[in-house]
Amino acid sequence: MTRVRVTAPRQSATAAPGQLPYPREAAEDSDAGKIFIRSLIRSQLRLALVVACGFLVILAVFALFLVYGPGVAETRILGIPLDWLVLGVGIYPVIGLSAWLYNRAAARNEARYRDLVEDK
Amino acid sequence: MNPAVGLFAFLAVTLATAVIGFYGLRISRTTGDFYVASRTVPPWWNASAIGGEYLSAASFLGVAGLILLSGTDALWFPVGYTAGYLMLLLFVAAPLRRSGAYTIPDFTEARLDSKLVRRVTSLVVVAVGWLYIVPQLHGAALTIRITTGLPSWVGSTAVVVVVCLTVVAGGMRSITFVQAFQYWLKLTALAVPVVFVAMVLAGNGVEPSAPLPINPTGQASAGAYNHISLLVALLFGTLGLPHVLVRFYTNPDGQSARRTTLIVLGLLSVFYLFPTISGALGRMFAPELAQSGQADALVLLLPGKLVGGTAGDLLSALVVAGAFAAFLSTTSGLVVSLSGVISQDLFGGSVRGFRLAAVIAAVVPLGFAFMTDTLALAGSVGLVFAFTASTICPVLLLGIWWRGLTDAGAIAGMLTGALLCGGAMVAGTLMGTGNAPAWLAQPAAWSVPAAFAVTVVVSVLTKNRVPASVNRVMSRLHVPERPVATER
Repeated sequence: MTRVRVTAPRQSATAAPGQLPYPREAAEDSDAGKIFIRSLIRSQLRLALVVACGFLVILAVFALFLVYGPGVAETRILGIPLDWLVLGVGIYPVIGLSAWLYNRAAARNEARYRDLVEDK
Repeated sequence: MNPAVGLFAFLAVTLATAVIGFYGLRISRTTGDFYVASRTVPPWWNASAIGGEYLSAASFLGVAGLILLSGTDALWFPVGYTAGYLMLLLFVAAPLRRSGAYTIPDFTEARLDSKLVRRVTSLVVVAVGWLYIVPQLHGAALTIRITTGLPSWVGSTAVVVVVCLTVVAGGMRSITFVQAFQYWLKLTALAVPVVFVAMVLAGNGVEPSAPLPINPTGQASAGAYNHISLLVALLFGTLGLPHVLVRFYTNPDGQSARRTTLIVLGLLSVFYLFPTISGALGRMFAPELAQSGQADALVLLLPGKLVGGTAGDLLSALVVAGAFAAFLSTTSGLVVSLSGVISQDLFGGSVRGFRLAAVIAAVVPLGFAFMTDTLALAGSVGLVFAFTASTICPVLLLGIWWRGLTDAGAIAGMLTGALLCGGAMVAGTLMGTGNAPAWLAQPAAWSVPAAFAVTVVVSVLTKNRVPASVNRVMSRLHVPERPVATER
């Protein structure tokens, strides 16, 4: 067994420059396959944008609520000011939930694509 | 604080890093082993490693220090650092893993089929990496000065020497194990002292000496522009960080890259609870640290100040160990990815070239660190995110999702972003902190849209330069891998 130092991806040695080293996707060969790939990319992008915008809207609502919400400055829960609780703790579950929902939906998009391509 | 405590903690972390590096080394012996192992790293290990590499001096020391100074304004920093990973998950994680690219220059070269794009991207990546290493070294200098009383340069030099030795001796091997270990070390090192301090305070019935909502230095609250600009920088800066991308390569496929990112989000959310609590305790029980300009050292000084005695010393040692884990892990992650880029572009990817590049990658920022002053750690890292968001982010996002991107558009966009954001950073520094207007101090809100706009406009104008390989590359990025069972 010889030891070889790894400083770069293995593919760069074998693939032609500027080309990604993966086998050709079968669907690329047909017009229908090309349409499937385009629609997969479009649906994934739409999903990512929807989740990102939804999260940003929630973030903006949180921020506006903390600034303009009535009585926020005085409210305390267990002695901790409300704005500290919302920013320090409350936002993180929203991030996690968005990520989890996105993962499920993205995997579903990919499964639908695989079904379409393999049914042909 | 007892100087021996700081020194002992530093040596212990260095030793532990070396031992785990060696343990990991024995598992992956050959190139084949390295790649096979990298495909079987479970998502939990991988996520811990990403967390370990990502949580830098800014997160470990800077966030608590900034919370001490500016309260709820600073709470947006950890929110942005975490939400940046959400953006990375949504737009980058799976396609980038599927691209098979190892560094960002690899990706842009393959996507745009252009050597020149690769060169420009490499320059930008190296600039980002160097800018990011400097605050780590400032953090090390601060920690050594506060805990041992030695001069500042000892801390930054020690980190550079340790990182150079480990990277030159070990290269990429076994680093996943080291980084994963360092996430859990950092979490423990922050959580245990904070919980202990809080329990002691509650047990002794100590009354807070200052109210939580009022800034100890009387600093005015930042405006809405600052918050928005900061969030733009943090949300879009994370997905271009050079050391984050390499970690995604060790996921077996796109779907597990997404699963890993989800776990990372959980790990980061748990971690950031503790700098927040630490900052809040500091505001209530040790507000004088803010006045004496030691805010960034809050996490280090809190146990000694509020607990004291042997327990205080032990807790301090733990915190110092965690702090050095933060400097070492982020710096070595950056140095490894930078030396990969430098050695491939300058030295043809040889082993000697990689070693030489590692030394260059670590020593140049040391020079910067000596020349510049310690700014607030979280703030200076925020500027690096702004730079990344204005240079690498547009190329990466448009490259993954838009067929129309051309090499000319990518180069024009990166240069525009670098000039605008870099110019604002230089101008802001020359004017001095506090004197620069908000739009110069936080450039992301206008420099990121400008970079996107230039990239798109130039790409549309040079439509004929869209590479012929675009359809193939796009399907490679987005089509899910076949299940392993049906693969040839």
